[in-house]
Amino acid sequence: MLFSKDWLSQYVDLPADDQELARKLTFAGLAVEHMEECDGDLVLDLDVTTNRPDCMNHYGVAREIAVLFDRPLKPPAHLEDNDSAPDVGQLASITLNDERCPRYAAKLIRGVTVGPSPDWLRRRLEAIGSRSINNVVDVTNYVLWELGQPLHAFDLAKLAGRTIDVRPAKPGEELVTLDGERRKLDPEIMVIADAERAVALAGIMGGRDSEVTETTTEILLESAHFDPRAVRRAARQLAMHTDACHRFERGADPEICAAAATRVAHLIAELAGGTVVPGVLDELGDRERSWRLEGRLEMARLQRFMGVEVECSIVERWLSGLGFELIPVGEDVWTVRVPGWRYYDFENRKPTGAVYEADLFEEVIRLHGFANIPSTVPKLAGIDASPSPLQEARRRAQDHLAACGFVETINFAFHSPQQAVSYPAMGAVGEEQTTDDLATVQLANALSERYSTLRPSLLPGLVESAQFNQRRNAARISLFEVGNTFLPSGEELPRETEAIALVQGGLATQGSAWEPRGEVDYFDLKGVVESLVSALLPGATIGSSEAVLPGFSEGATAQLRLLPVAGAAAEGEAEGELLGHLGQLEVEGPYPLYAAELRLGALVKERRVARVEIPSRYPNVEVDLTLTHALTVTWRQLAARIEAAPPADLKGFELKDRYRGKGVPAGAVNTTISFSYNAEGRSLTHEEVNERHLVLIRQMEKSFGIDGEA
Amino acid sequence: MSTGAASPAELAVRFEAEAALVADRAAFEQLRLAWTGRKKGILRAMLAGMKEVAPQNRREYGQAVHQLKVAVEGGLEALGERLSAQEKADARQAATLDVTLPGRRPRLGSLHPVTVVNRDIEAIFAEMGYSVAEGPEVENDYHNFEALNFPRDHPARDTQDTFFVEGGALLRTHTSPVQIRTMLARAEPPIRIICPGRVYRNDNDLRHSPMFHQIEGLAIGEGLTVGDLKGTLETFIQRLFSADTGVRLRPSFFPFTEPSAEVDITCPFCAGSGESLDGGEPCGVCSATGWMEILGSGMVDPRVLAECGIDPEIYTGFAFGLGVDRVAMIRYGIPNIRMLFDNDERLLRQVQS
Repeated sequence: MLFSKDWLSQYVDLPADDQELARKLTFAGLAVEHMEECDGDLVLDLDVTTNRPDCMNHYGVAREIAVLFDRPLKPPAHLEDNDSAPDVGQLASITLNDERCPRYAAKLIRGVTVGPSPDWLRRRLEAIGSRSINNVVDVTNYVLWELGQPLHAFDLAKLAGRTIDVRPAKPGEELVTLDGERRKLDPEIMVIADAERAVALAGIMGGRDSEVTETTTEILLESAHFDPRAVRRAARQLAMHTDACHRFERGADPEICAAAATRVAHLIAELAGGTVVPGVLDELGDRERSWRLEGRLEMARLQRFMGVEVECSIVERWLSGLGFELIPVGEDVWTVRVPGWRYYDFENRKPTGAVYEADLFEEVIRLHGFANIPSTVPKLAGIDASPSPLQEARRRAQDHLAACGFVETINFAFHSPQQAVSYPAMGAVGEEQTTDDLATVQLANALSERYSTLRPSLLPGLVESAQFNQRRNAARISLFEVGNTFLPSGEELPRETEAIALVQGGLATQGSAWEPRGEVDYFDLKGVVESLVSALLPGATIGSSEAVLPGFSEGATAQLRLLPVAGAAAEGEAEGELLGHLGQLEVEGPYPLYAAELRLGALVKERRVARVEIPSRYPNVEVDLTLTHALTVTWRQLAARIEAAPPADLKGFELKDRYRGKGVPAGAVNTTISFSYNAEGRSLTHEEVNERHLVLIRQMEKSFGIDGEA
Repeated sequence: MSTGAASPAELAVRFEAEAALVADRAAFEQLRLAWTGRKKGILRAMLAGMKEVAPQNRREYGQAVHQLKVAVEGGLEALGERLSAQEKADARQAATLDVTLPGRRPRLGSLHPVTVVNRDIEAIFAEMGYSVAEGPEVENDYHNFEALNFPRDHPARDTQDTFFVEGGALLRTHTSPVQIRTMLARAEPPIRIICPGRVYRNDNDLRHSPMFHQIEGLAIGEGLTVGDLKGTLETFIQRLFSADTGVRLRPSFFPFTEPSAEVDITCPFCAGSGESLDGGEPCGVCSATGWMEILGSGMVDPRVLAECGIDPEIYTGFAFGLGVDRVAMIRYGIPNIRMLFDNDERLLRQVQS
């Protein structure tokens, strides 16, 4: 908001040093963002926050300067009539028929000659970026920028019945505003009307038919007070923004109406001739209504709040200078009366009706300056709380994946509707789902359709990131993201499910430039997922079952579950808590991509300290078994058979090799499993082991083997 | 091999000549067999030739053959040793690595810059006794605005361009709703939390991203002061940036704090001088002011405390919030916030916590 230094100097003696002025204003809450010489004047651009409508005018800023530099404030002239008032009410009348207008003051001027404004007025308005129109309109603008009160001049002759009626607009009522736009109105919008029709939008803009023109001689000056919320609602509904509504929305001074109208009237008479009709038409919706708020200020509480001592007399000087009335009620305790121009900043009161002391403290603190308050450390002992299991799990997951070579990404949480459902929804893992009918969370005011749907899965964004890097010739991809996914819950807020998604492809992560290890495949990513699960849930086992899922290749995709106990039976595969899914993606690219998405919640468990198993003093005896079996026999089946009746002293077994080539019949595969035996208390001989192992081999071959082999 | 009619002395010369030609183990073995072989060796033949020598010459002959034998055997031994040394040297040569070749290293991944900065901030506040609180990203009007003293139809809402969800909920515009949820749930101060998370504003241009990250802090207790707010922010900022970072508070306005302050730090790029460190040009990062606005803060508005069931007559508190993306951009020299979400791994991999 622009301010003229020349104009400000009319109300207060300004310091010689402009930089000092700017610095003091800035550190009292009126940030000077820019200063520029303009036609021998200096224009200051102030950032006036929404709570300070009283500083959206020159007199208000001058008041701050007067306090900051301890100088007297000189009010403008003609705030009151000199003559006593005859019955101005015979010349025009006002009725208030809308609670959203608690006050409407008007002043009449007769015999004016509308014409151009004098140079000094044009210059002032132009300095702050306003355009000169004519001497009458310019004066109303001038006083808006001087005192902060928006005013409107009506051509009284064009008001039917010489009457003002403040009322809600009628359904379907129309008004052509000063900007030439025809506005469709409804009762949500408050209007100023004459005896017949709406003539202005209350607090926003006047109407074209009643505006002041070159032929106008008789003027009714409106200086009213409108409810900030009502003005804001109407302005938003009409998509309008004016200097007037900017101030009313933030809260104008309800007590200045009559004074501002009087000042404008006398200025108009000065510049455009004519006579000011003595007296003010000042209608109040409620004659008892007061805009003077009160609160209690205790020096002791103020100083405790600030953490520093301040002098009583200085606090009194500052607050009085700002227009607060201080009425002593005890030693260093006052009842403080808030000036009308600060009404809306203090309006939201305590249940007792008194203003909050913090609002008064703020005035003292900003004038005292944050810089003059010594820094201290809060006197709070101990700690608040430890990280939650979810936070710990998330951190461990991020660390583990980064250590496994994965790069963490962050993607937008919104996609196009089609993209959003191109992968299984996380909140719906395992639930029957076709992507066509998946309900998603839609934004009502999205940037564009491309960003209109909250993601039900992290994969659309993550796969997009993978392809972005593929296009930049990345020889390998290993990316992950941890974040929330969204699905409708049927309640007010959607269901948010935190997920971990991984995508991998291209050269193996462990290879190096001069000794590559080939491309990663399904089992590389599965291994990462398995290691992640072991890191977060020691001892947990993943169960995989083949699945058909959107976005994933059929035959290379599985649903993952956390098995309840290590080594559940093959038939129990589908049991256990759902973890997520993993598979090869159906996407085009220079090399295949594999992806997984897991529910973070499934990996959050009470951390139990697992007791370690003390290793035997004797070395294990290792024996292999190679079995030729049909491809349709799964590893899970083989493992379940071994686990169902393990030979004595079997400590463990693991997959050693899979071979399908020369010497293996079509449709079959050689699986080599290595077994570890240990008798704990003594050394096992190879003969003993072989004896038991042969039994196992015979059983396995009988169950799964293909004739003519082994 | 035939000795012909050569004398032992002549043979000694011949041995020397042949030995000089031996370059490897195979030639050495050939030489050894030719001279000392038990059946066909020259020495053997010379000894066998004794009986054809006249008896009176035998003694002399024997001595000459013996001298030859000593010379040959000594020569062979020396030659063998030389060859062994040679072979060891060769083997060593063959086994020597080019130690300058790159190692086969496991490829490291990386955490996102935002995660790294979040963790650093969390660690600083953890030492000051703060815990981390989290909440939903889709919120209702009450938690995001109303309870924070943003009344409906108030212009303060203009500064928070809000994404609305079909049905009336909204994407949180800040992580302050987590503060509200925490206060409502606990109501028993002291409270010390920081609230990191994704936030959304309907703003999309070169300098803004519709999604970004905030971390907010909240401390409530009996007798917390404006000085405590200042001290906490200074400690935090100087730990996060550097111990000599200047901090200043400027009065401002937020509906949920009273008083409110914008917090500026001395520009990390020009150390607060306003001039670039190399050339004395005006610093482009802070527009030559020497300061950067980085945080919003203030004393918690008593209306907010009261709304959450905390008695503002007894308790006071302070709150602050900052953009994590912005700190990451400053720290890593990333010029554009959108680059944080492009996920170009050539950029991301460079960030090692």
